[in-house]
Amino acid sequence: MTEQRGLHKIQGLRRRWIVYHVLEDVLLSVYAALYIGAIVYYLLSPSVLWGIIVFPVALIILLAINRPWQMSGQKIAAFLNKEYPELQESSHMLLLPAAELNPLQVIASSKTEAVLTDLQISHKPFAKRLVIAFFSLIVATAFIWALGKIFHIERIFYGNNRPVAECAPMPKVAEKVLPQISSVNVSITPPAYTGKGKREQDKFNLSAEEGALAEWHIKTNVTIKKAYLLFNDKERVDLKGGDGGTTWYVAKPISSPGFYQVSIDGKLSDLYYVQVVKDAPPVIHIKTPKQYTYIDAGEAPRVTITATLNDDYGISDAVIMATVAKGKGEGVKFKDYKLSFSQGFGAHNAQYDVQKLIQLPALNVEPGDELYFYVQAQDTHKQLSRTDVYTVSVQDTAELLSMNGIINGVNLKPEFFRSERQIIIDAEQLLKEKDSISVEKFNNRSNNLGIDQKLLRLRYGKFLGEEGEDAIGAAPGNDLADPADFSNGAKILKEYTDDHDNAEDAGFFEPAIKAQLKATLTEMWKAELQLRLYKPQAALPFAYKALRLLKDLQQKSRAFVAKTAYNPPPLKQEKRLSGELDKIIQPINKQDIKPLTDQMDALKKAVNVLEGLKTNPVLSAADNRVLQLANQQLGSKASAQPGVYLPALKAMRRILSATQANNTDIDMVERALQRTLTTLKNMPASGANTADMGLSKQYYKNLKQANR
Amino acid sequence: MQGSWIYIVYALCVFMAFLFAWLEYRRANKRFLLLRIAAAIIAVVALACIILPVKYNSMVTKTGLHNTILLTAGFEADSLPNGIDTATVTMDGAIKKAYPKVKLISGPDELSNAGPLDIYGNGLSKDELAQLDSLPVTFHAAKIPAGVSSISWNDKLRAGEALHVQGLYNNTSAQKIKLVLTGLNTGLDSVTLPPNAQTAFNLSTTPKATGKIAFTLKADTALQGSLPVQVAPVKPLKILMLSASPDFESKFLKNWLSENGYSVALRSAISKGKYNSEYINIGQFSLDKLSAQTLDKFDVLIGDLSVLSTLSSTESDVLKQQVADKGLGLIVRADTAGKASWLQRQFPVDRPSGKEPAPASLIINGNKSGSGKLAYGSAHLIYQNGTQPLVKTKERVLAGSALYGSGKIVFTTLNNTFSWMLGGNKQDYTALWSALINKAARKSDEMKDDMQFSSLPVNNQPVTLQVSQSNSSPITINNELMATVQNAGVPFEWAATYRSSVAGWQNLKQGDKPGNWFAYAQNNWQTLQSAEKATATKKYANLHPNSQIVTKQIQQKVGIAIPKIYFYILLLAASTFLWIETKLS
Repeated sequence: MTEQRGLHKIQGLRRRWIVYHVLEDVLLSVYAALYIGAIVYYLLSPSVLWGIIVFPVALIILLAINRPWQMSGQKIAAFLNKEYPELQESSHMLLLPAAELNPLQVIASSKTEAVLTDLQISHKPFAKRLVIAFFSLIVATAFIWALGKIFHIERIFYGNNRPVAECAPMPKVAEKVLPQISSVNVSITPPAYTGKGKREQDKFNLSAEEGALAEWHIKTNVTIKKAYLLFNDKERVDLKGGDGGTTWYVAKPISSPGFYQVSIDGKLSDLYYVQVVKDAPPVIHIKTPKQYTYIDAGEAPRVTITATLNDDYGISDAVIMATVAKGKGEGVKFKDYKLSFSQGFGAHNAQYDVQKLIQLPALNVEPGDELYFYVQAQDTHKQLSRTDVYTVSVQDTAELLSMNGIINGVNLKPEFFRSERQIIIDAEQLLKEKDSISVEKFNNRSNNLGIDQKLLRLRYGKFLGEEGEDAIGAAPGNDLADPADFSNGAKILKEYTDDHDNAEDAGFFEPAIKAQLKATLTEMWKAELQLRLYKPQAALPFAYKALRLLKDLQQKSRAFVAKTAYNPPPLKQEKRLSGELDKIIQPINKQDIKPLTDQMDALKKAVNVLEGLKTNPVLSAADNRVLQLANQQLGSKASAQPGVYLPALKAMRRILSATQANNTDIDMVERALQRTLTTLKNMPASGANTADMGLSKQYYKNLKQANR
Repeated sequence: MQGSWIYIVYALCVFMAFLFAWLEYRRANKRFLLLRIAAAIIAVVALACIILPVKYNSMVTKTGLHNTILLTAGFEADSLPNGIDTATVTMDGAIKKAYPKVKLISGPDELSNAGPLDIYGNGLSKDELAQLDSLPVTFHAAKIPAGVSSISWNDKLRAGEALHVQGLYNNTSAQKIKLVLTGLNTGLDSVTLPPNAQTAFNLSTTPKATGKIAFTLKADTALQGSLPVQVAPVKPLKILMLSASPDFESKFLKNWLSENGYSVALRSAISKGKYNSEYINIGQFSLDKLSAQTLDKFDVLIGDLSVLSTLSSTESDVLKQQVADKGLGLIVRADTAGKASWLQRQFPVDRPSGKEPAPASLIINGNKSGSGKLAYGSAHLIYQNGTQPLVKTKERVLAGSALYGSGKIVFTTLNNTFSWMLGGNKQDYTALWSALINKAARKSDEMKDDMQFSSLPVNNQPVTLQVSQSNSSPITINNELMATVQNAGVPFEWAATYRSSVAGWQNLKQGDKPGNWFAYAQNNWQTLQSAEKATATKKYANLHPNSQIVTKQIQQKVGIAIPKIYFYILLLAASTFLWIETKLS
C-alpha cells in the first residue's frame, strides 16, 4: 500500500508535468497567433481571421513536437533523484513492481517511499518554462498594442484613411411603448408571391413586403376602454377588444410606407415606422448574341440566345418574342413567333440561366431577312419586364451576286469586279461537285481558284500602290546585264529596292476608301489561304465579305451632285418697311405671374427657428407656429420615407412638446432639413448703398464738374 | 577648508605628471619619447582641469533692474531667464495652479504702478492693454498654438450665393487633420491638411435657407468655432427690355425673370414704328418713347445695340443721364449694328470671319469650374482698360462691364443663351444672367449694414463695434441703449462698446433698422484669439518700449566656466595616442 502511495506521487508529478507543458504549448501558440494575426491585421487585411486560424495550427505543431504525454515515470524518478538527495538515488525503485524487488531493494524503496510521501516537491522546476511563456505573452500583447496604437504601423502601407474592422454597430434605440401595454405581438404574413412564411415580432416598428398582412395582438396590463392605431396622422384603425379589455387585435394589409401611433384611451404613443419592401421586376441580362448580329453568307444560320434572369422572389415565366421581317421596300411582311425556353420555371427560383438555340431556317428566315427578338420575363408577382430588341440579319447572297447595275454598264466596270463573284460561284460549284470528282482534282481546282484569288488581290493591290503583277515570278537582275546601263544608278536602285507603297503609284483615293480597299485585300488574303488549303467551304465567308466590301466601294465611287440653290432676286432697300401700317394695332400683353409658392418654405423658416433655439431653448408662440408647419411637411416626408425621416419627425414632436428644446433633437431635425431642402436659386438682386451721408454722390458731382 | 582640496588635486596631478613622464622616459623603446611625455602631461593636465573649476573673467552687460514678469497663457517655462521668482505674476488661474510660486493678480491695473513689464506667452487683449496705462513693456511672444490662426468668410450673403471660408490652419501634430465645414449638423465640405505645417484652406457651400445660420468649423472632431452667416432673401428687380425684333433670347429671358416674380416690361419692334409691348407684374404705361419717368421705374434696362443706338437724341440724353446720375443699370446685347455709339466706346467688338468656334464652356464671373458648353458665335469683345470681363472663354471675352458715371454698362455678345434653357440647363442660364444683372442693377435705397469690431467679438469680453449710419439715430443692442461715439474724422461712423452676456446672435437696432451680430462662445477660435492678443500686445510693446533697457545697463565682471567637454576631448586624445603608440611598438 505504501508503495502505491509513492507510485501515485510520481504519477501525480508526471501528470503535473504534462499539464504544465500542454499549458505552455497553448500559451506559445497564442503567442504565435497574436504575432501573425497582428502582422496580417496591420499590414494586409483588417480581419482577425488569420490569428484564429494560426492558433490551432501552431498548437498542433507544438504538441506534435513536444509530445508531453510521452513523459515517463522513469524520467520523473531520475529528476527526483537528482533534485532531492534525501531520496538516496532510489526513487526509480518505486516504479518497479514489488514482486521483482530483492530484499535490499525493498528496504531502499520503503525508505524512499517514506521520504517521498513527506517531501514537498515545489512547482518551480515544472512551471519555470510556463512562467516564461506567460510573461513573454504579456510582453507580446503590450508590444502589439503599442505597434497599433503608438507607432501606427499600419500607416506604412495605408496612410490615415484605412477602414478598420472594428465598426461600432448603430446603437439601437429601444422602442418607447405606452405603459399600459404589457406585451405586443405583430405578425406579418407576406403575400403569396414572396413564397415566405408568416413571421412574428414583438416590436411595433415593422418592415413588410408590399401587400403583406400585418396583425397586431396587444395585451394590456389594465383594462382599457378604447384603442386604435393612427396611420400617418390620418388613417384610424380601431383595435378590437377581448378578454374584458385587456387583449386587443387588428389586422391591416400593408401597401404603403409611413408611420403610425398606438392610441390607448386617447393617449398617443411614440411614432413607429412602417417600411414597405417593394417587389422589383425581374432583371434580364442577355449574354449572347450581341444587340446587332450579322450572319454572313457561308456562316451557320443559327443564333444561340443565352440570358440570365434574376428576381428578388421568383420567376414564373420567360419567353422569347421573335419577329421575322421578310421582303423589301413596301413589300415587307412580318411574322411573330413566341418561343419558350427549354427550362421550366415551375420551381419559381430567384435566378435562372437560360439558353435557346434558334435555327433560323426553322423560323423561315431566308437570306436577306431579319429577325428581331426580345426576352420577356414575369415574376411571381405578375410583374413583367422585357429587354431591348435584338436584331439578327442574314446576308442576302442573291442581291450580292446579282448583275443589277452591272449589266447596263459593262464597259465601265473594270473586269475585276466580276472576278470575286466568279470565284464565289466557282467555289460553290466546286463544293457541289465535290462528291463526283476525285480528291486530287478537287484539290487542284481549289488551288487554281486560290491562284485566281491571288491575281485578283494583286490587281487591287495596285490601287494601293503595292507591287505590280508584272513583278510576280520575274527574277530580278536580268536586264542589268546590258552594258549600256553601266553605272546607271537609277536603274540599279529600281531593280534592288522595293518601290511599293509609293504614293505616286497609288490612286487618288480618300483615306476611308483606302482603308476599305485594304480591308478587302485582307479578306482576299484569307480566302486565298483557305482555297490553297483545299477548304473552299471555309473560304466562302471571306470571299463573300470581300465581295460585299467591293460592292460598297462601287457604291461609293458614284459621284453625288447637289441640287443647285435658289438665287432670290436682290431686295430693293428703298421699298423696305414702306408699307402702310396705320391700321395695324400695336399688340399689348399684360399679365401678372405669381412666383410659384415654395414647397419648402415652412422648412426653410424652421431652420431659423431651430438656430435660435440653440441659444434660447424656449419656443415663442410665433416660432411654435413655424415649427408646426414644418412638422406637417416633415410628416408627409416621413410617410413616404419613414426610415429616413421618422427619427427627425419624432425629434421635432419632442421639441414642440417639451418646454425646453434638447440640443440632440435640434441636431437631428436640422440634419433632416439639410437633407430635404433644395439649393436656393441664385437670382439677380441689387446691391445696397453705403451709409456715407451722400459723400460718394458729392464726390461724383465734383468730379464731373472738374472734368468739364 | 574650501580651497584645500584644490591643492590636493594640484599635488596629486603634479606627482602623477612626473610619475607618468618618468615611466615614459624609462621605457626601453625610445620611439616618440618627447611626444609621449608631452601626451602624458597633457592627459594629467586635462584630468586636473576636469576636476578643477576653470573660469575666465569677462565683462557682461546686465540690466540692473529686475522687471516684473507677467505670464499669460501659452508661455513656456524654459523661456524665462531666471525661472519663476517672486517678481513673476499672472492673471490666469490655470497658470497659478500649475506654478504655485507665481503671484496671482486680479487685473492689469495692479501692475500699472510697478516697474517695466516683461510679458511672456500670448499677451493681453486690447482691453487689458489699455488698462496698463502706458506702462513700458517687453513682449516675448509664444509660438502660435495649433488651430485656425486666421480665417475669413463672406458673412452677409444673398440667397443662392455660396459661402466661401478661407483661412490658415496651424497643424502642429504629426498627423493629418481633416477640417470639416458643418452646417445644420451635416458635413458640407472638408479638406485634409498635412502634418507639421501651416496650410491655407478653402471651403465652400451654398446655404439652403435664408436668415441667420451659424455654420461650424471642426478639425477632426474638435470644434474650432462658429461661422455666423446672414442670408438675405432676394428682392425681385424691375427690368425693362427693348428688343429690335421678337427673338428667342428676349422671350426666354422674359419668361425666366417673370416666373421668378420679377417685374418685366418688354418692347419689341415688329415693324417700323410698331411695337409689341408686354407688361408682366408691372402696371401698364406707354413705352413708345423713353422718358426719365419711365426709366426711373426700372433697375435695369436690357436692350439690343441696334435699338439703343437708334434712339432719338432726346431719348439718348435721358438714358445717359439716368445711367450716369441715377445709377440705372444698362445691359447691351451686341448685334450687327456696328455704329460707334457712346455705348460701344469701351467695348469694341471683333467679328472674325471664317468658321465659328466650337462650343465651349464659359467662365462666368471668374468661376473656374465652368459652365455647360455653348456655341457662343464668332463675335467677341476686345479687352480695353477700364472694363471688367464678366464672361469669358479661355481665349475670348464675351461680356464685360464698365462704369458710366454712377451706373454701370454691361455689354454682352452672347445671343443664344436660350439654348441652355432649351436643353434644360437652367443652372448655367441662371448663373450667367444673374452675374450680368447683378453687376448692372441699380443700387437699392437700402443701406448696407456695415459693422466692424475692434477685436473678435467673444462672449463676456468687451468689444467695440463700429457701425455706419447717416443720421444720429440711437443704437440699441439687445434693447439696451448704447452710448455711442461719433468718429471725428468720418462723421457717419459711430462706435459703441458692449459686453455680451450670452453667446450667439445679438440684436442690434440703428433707429428702426434691425441688424444682427454674433458673439462667439469663449471656446471658439482659441488660436485666433491668442494670435489677436499677440498682435495687440506686440503693437502695444512697440508703442511703449522699455527704454530703461538701454540706459540702466551695468558692466559687470563675471567668471564664466569653460565647458568641461573640451578637457574630456583633450584627455581622450592624449590617452588614445599613448594607447595606440604602445600597440604599434
